[in-house]
Amino acid sequence: MFKRNNKLSISGGSAGFQKILALSTLFILYIFFSIFGNNFFSVATLVNILDSSYYIGFLALGMTFVIITGGINLASGTIMMCSALLGGVAYNIWHWPIGMSLALIFFVSTFFGLMNGIMIAKLKLPPFIATLGTMSITMGLGAIISKVMTMRYPTVTDPDGWFKFLFYKTSGGFPVGAVWLALFLIIAYIILNKTIIGRYTFAIGSNEEAARLSGVKVDRWKMVVYTLDGFFGGLAAIMYAAAYTSIIPSTGNGIELYAISGVVIGGTSMSGGIGTVSGTLIGVFIMSVLKQGLMAMNLQGQWQTFFTGFVVIGAVLLDIYRNKKANQVKKD
Amino acid sequence: MDELLVCMEGIQKYFPGVHALNNCSFELLKGEVHALVGENGAGKSTLMKVLTGLYKKDGGTITYKGSNVEIHSPKEAQNLGIGIIHQELNMLPHLTVAENIFIGREHKAGPFLDSKKTNNEASRLLESLNLNIDPETKIQDLTVAKQQMVEIAKALSFKSEVLIMDEPTAALTESEIESLFKFIKQLKAQGVGIVYISHRLEELLKITDRITTMRDGQYVNTVKTADVTIPEIIQMMVGRAIYEEPKVQSMVPEDAPVSLEVKNLNSKQVKNVAFQLKKGEILGIAGLMGAGRTETARLIFGADPMTSGEIYIDGKKVNIKTPYDAVNHGIGYLSEDRKRFGLALGLSVKDNSSLSGLERFSKIFIVNDKKAEKETNAYVKKINVKTPSIYQLVKNLSGGNQQKVVLAKWLIKNCGILIFDEPTRGIDVGAKSEIYKLMNDLVREGKSIIMISSEMPELLRMSDRVAVMCEGRLTGILNINEATQEKIMTLATQRN
Amino acid sequence: MKGIKKILSLAVAISVFAVSIAGCGSSQPSSTGNTSSTGADTSAGGSSSKPYIAVISKGFQHQFWQTVKKGAEDAAAKYNVDMTFDGPPSESDINVQVDMINSAIAKKPAALALAVLDTSSVTQQLNDCKSKNIPIIGFDSGIPDAPEGTLFATASTNNENAGALAAVSMFEDPTFQEALKAASTDKPVTIGVQSQDATSASIIGRTNGFINEMVKKCETLFAGQVAVTGHEKFKKAASSGKAAVNIFVTIPPSSNATDSQNASQSLLNTKGLIAAYASNEASVNGILAATTDGKDLDRANGKYKNITVVGFDAGKAQKAAVKNGWFLGSVTQDPYSIGYLAVELAAKAIKGEAVEDVDTGCKFYTAKNMEQSDIAMLLYD
Repeated sequence: MFKRNNKLSISGGSAGFQKILALSTLFILYIFFSIFGNNFFSVATLVNILDSSYYIGFLALGMTFVIITGGINLASGTIMMCSALLGGVAYNIWHWPIGMSLALIFFVSTFFGLMNGIMIAKLKLPPFIATLGTMSITMGLGAIISKVMTMRYPTVTDPDGWFKFLFYKTSGGFPVGAVWLALFLIIAYIILNKTIIGRYTFAIGSNEEAARLSGVKVDRWKMVVYTLDGFFGGLAAIMYAAAYTSIIPSTGNGIELYAISGVVIGGTSMSGGIGTVSGTLIGVFIMSVLKQGLMAMNLQGQWQTFFTGFVVIGAVLLDIYRNKKANQVKKD
Repeated sequence: MDELLVCMEGIQKYFPGVHALNNCSFELLKGEVHALVGENGAGKSTLMKVLTGLYKKDGGTITYKGSNVEIHSPKEAQNLGIGIIHQELNMLPHLTVAENIFIGREHKAGPFLDSKKTNNEASRLLESLNLNIDPETKIQDLTVAKQQMVEIAKALSFKSEVLIMDEPTAALTESEIESLFKFIKQLKAQGVGIVYISHRLEELLKITDRITTMRDGQYVNTVKTADVTIPEIIQMMVGRAIYEEPKVQSMVPEDAPVSLEVKNLNSKQVKNVAFQLKKGEILGIAGLMGAGRTETARLIFGADPMTSGEIYIDGKKVNIKTPYDAVNHGIGYLSEDRKRFGLALGLSVKDNSSLSGLERFSKIFIVNDKKAEKETNAYVKKINVKTPSIYQLVKNLSGGNQQKVVLAKWLIKNCGILIFDEPTRGIDVGAKSEIYKLMNDLVREGKSIIMISSEMPELLRMSDRVAVMCEGRLTGILNINEATQEKIMTLATQRN
Repeated sequence: MKGIKKILSLAVAISVFAVSIAGCGSSQPSSTGNTSSTGADTSAGGSSSKPYIAVISKGFQHQFWQTVKKGAEDAAAKYNVDMTFDGPPSESDINVQVDMINSAIAKKPAALALAVLDTSSVTQQLNDCKSKNIPIIGFDSGIPDAPEGTLFATASTNNENAGALAAVSMFEDPTFQEALKAASTDKPVTIGVQSQDATSASIIGRTNGFINEMVKKCETLFAGQVAVTGHEKFKKAASSGKAAVNIFVTIPPSSNATDSQNASQSLLNTKGLIAAYASNEASVNGILAATTDGKDLDRANGKYKNITVVGFDAGKAQKAAVKNGWFLGSVTQDPYSIGYLAVELAAKAIKGEAVEDVDTGCKFYTAKNMEQSDIAMLLYD
């Protein structure tokens, strides 16, 4: 019992360890591409890296909470697209003002988050199945309401162009999106680490039954977490609309895998109970740097997909290896 | 009979930063039951893991049947004839008894599994051990005791001559223990050498021939069982004398207020249970496995749905549907299976301790960590949780300290009624008496305790009254001054 | 200890932002200021001092783009420029294409050649290029409604003409004429049009070109009795109120193979269908998939032997369908010229020469003429 005490710190800082590893990977990749990429080491590329991270970044922040509870949200990408499409329908067809259209985006995404939460917490569906269903529902619904037409958000030259300046880039090229992402990183950090929601998120992910028997209303907090994830989906939708303007129906599936990858690369454990939001964002940036870097080396998009796979597998292997090591030491 | 089977000498084992085994020795004779005792963390399991090839030793020698051996893997140990029965059973619940016994070396007919041969072989094996178990039953349909016997049978099917049993009676009832002992004696007569690891010292006197004690990773000594008493063994284990006074008379006054009353409690496994718990009282609940004790506790705690029943706290009727309701009415439950039902192992001492009382430390969702830390520190100190800091992950604590963390959780929530379900299961002797002392302190402070236990000495030592259950019914409540082991056993077996 | 580590890494994450944001904010004016040096900068990343042209197409998934690429490569060799050819994995991947364009601009190209999926999604980038004096050449569907002054010239098929060519060719077919003439308001006939995602101007052009021409031709036989039904975008009621000829437009929910096939399947089973027009290769593939690679369209004994089909573009399967007479014929663009002329225009624009739009042409090919060398070279596999 006494000897045990000195072994302690080994697993104590493990989530932090993987995050530091991810951070070094990020810098090494950046330096690598700076040396070998065509014009990679430039402010323009740095902005591109940020630009292509926004929507996945927000999805991944929401997903971090879900994965820490031990769940998953496969509908993340399609909820984003569906709410962006519906907001677009409101703006283009029903001629709502842009502000109200954006509010609708939040309403739709948060609603589907809540729906996931109800199915998982109250109806006891496994998260994988429940969100697989939501994935199809949202993809279909977006296409139905938009009548399979591409929806456009205002561009810089339109009267409502301030929307792009506010959420994406100013006319001077300042990446405002990064400010939003940083702001919500801090908000997510506070929620996860300083509030009851975050504390219960960890407790549920670490041992759901023990949390329930400690008097935690597990069902309610799970719903809160999925609803929060839905809200982040709405943020992602606005960022997507601001960055890419046009929303095509029946798309969005596949994006959730990038969000999940970012979360996992950042050191959050798929089995729940362990994770950080800053790690997640580092994971998302690793993928962005890979994408921009490979393009700078004139390798096409499929190479990014290919290499991301290796990074994800590496991250998960590392997670398993660390757990094994910690467990070995723990038993006497 | 005195043939030497195993001799381990000068065994060394290091883990990062820890000298886990320091010059340890152990020997086992043919047909001998040799107890290995020591507090949790004393190195018993580590020593046995070295013997079974799970850990590589860093020094020392192992002699097996006269020749020097190096054991690199559990497979090699198995081939030599060394088998181990772990504390946590390693059975696949959805497979049958026969399939479990022969897993990894299935009988085949061509490319297909030969289930007929598997079943025949298994039933021959079970019969040779006088076990009345159908090889085609699924493991999940067997009692824990039977599962354990299957596990032993499986180990013996490898022609094991050495059998290591780690806490074999932890999950067994009195009668099951009796049959296990009969079984052990039979194996012994067949010449199998058995290493017997247990915290239940009374058992050691009954079943073992010799006792080897370990402390802090070091070998202490080996004695003949016939030559020692329990207090002596305890003294060897902890290096100090522990004296415990059995309770003769309840100190709870007759007219003490009733803090908890249940009436007509019913569910699938619980039938018409009714009792009162007085303020400052420890109510022991005795019974055999499957008597419905844990089920009753879970009903009161709202963990499982009740079909009917009424619960009164301090005389007022309360509606408890979920653990959340129970906790808010001041009931805390310490499960027998801490790791599954009590703790978030991957979280810190602080996060676990403050989990139930978290809302007390929070304003509009924001947690005041300073306050939580302060209170956790206070309770960690008060109930003497041995941890380097409150940020230590709970999974790195010993069983006794984990139990204390669960207790701290309920104390921080300010629960007045505590349900201890097997509070000392898997906890070593030193920590055990500490838990007892804590429980006594708590009732002295005016808290009320329900203690479910399978250990008679524990029940008789701690309880003010002992309620006995059998097959989901409450068969009687005994005052401590009239309770004896015999009376309790009679009530516990009073079937309809 | 753990707390400190946490705060530290959070701080690092935030400072990565801060640095990059500060970086862009401050250096933005300078990068717009030294536009004159763009030409010299180009050499920085390349292995030689050749000017660099980034070509970004709408995709890679169809063989069409491979032929465009070939043309572009040949022109790059001829004009002695460095060229990269890139495109998103599918035509729904607007975000991927936008990222590619951003990335291309970061490489400081001497010129860009683009076939955008959606103009409004890249308005900002186009303006950015304008301010950096990077000439932009459109190709294939080009950049419809590009902001003033950003687009130098476009090398593309005139899609309206191409669609009209399909309509005229179909209308002149005797079998089709016969079936059409049998129509009446009591027993109307349907001419199906399968198009794709109503986003792309080139496909809209081909669809509109076909519909307008077909309406015009049919009106000569059934004045005021021709209606366009189906997708909202193209809907037009018959002026007399009763239709003898319905032109029915279907658009599958996405460009993936299953959706195309399902749309084709239901189109083929439409009552009174006498002909079908597929406006791009994906739609053609949908029809082929729904007709057992076209066999069901066999004039002699096919399941749908009475349906006249006109396709668009080429590809192995479509060529076989035309060759076997299962399709009446198909309209082909000239992908090789598209690629070649795009890079040629870009090379000229870099040198400061005046450039203007070029029509890269189109042809109707049938079983009879598809072997001729001038046509065969346009038909990619």
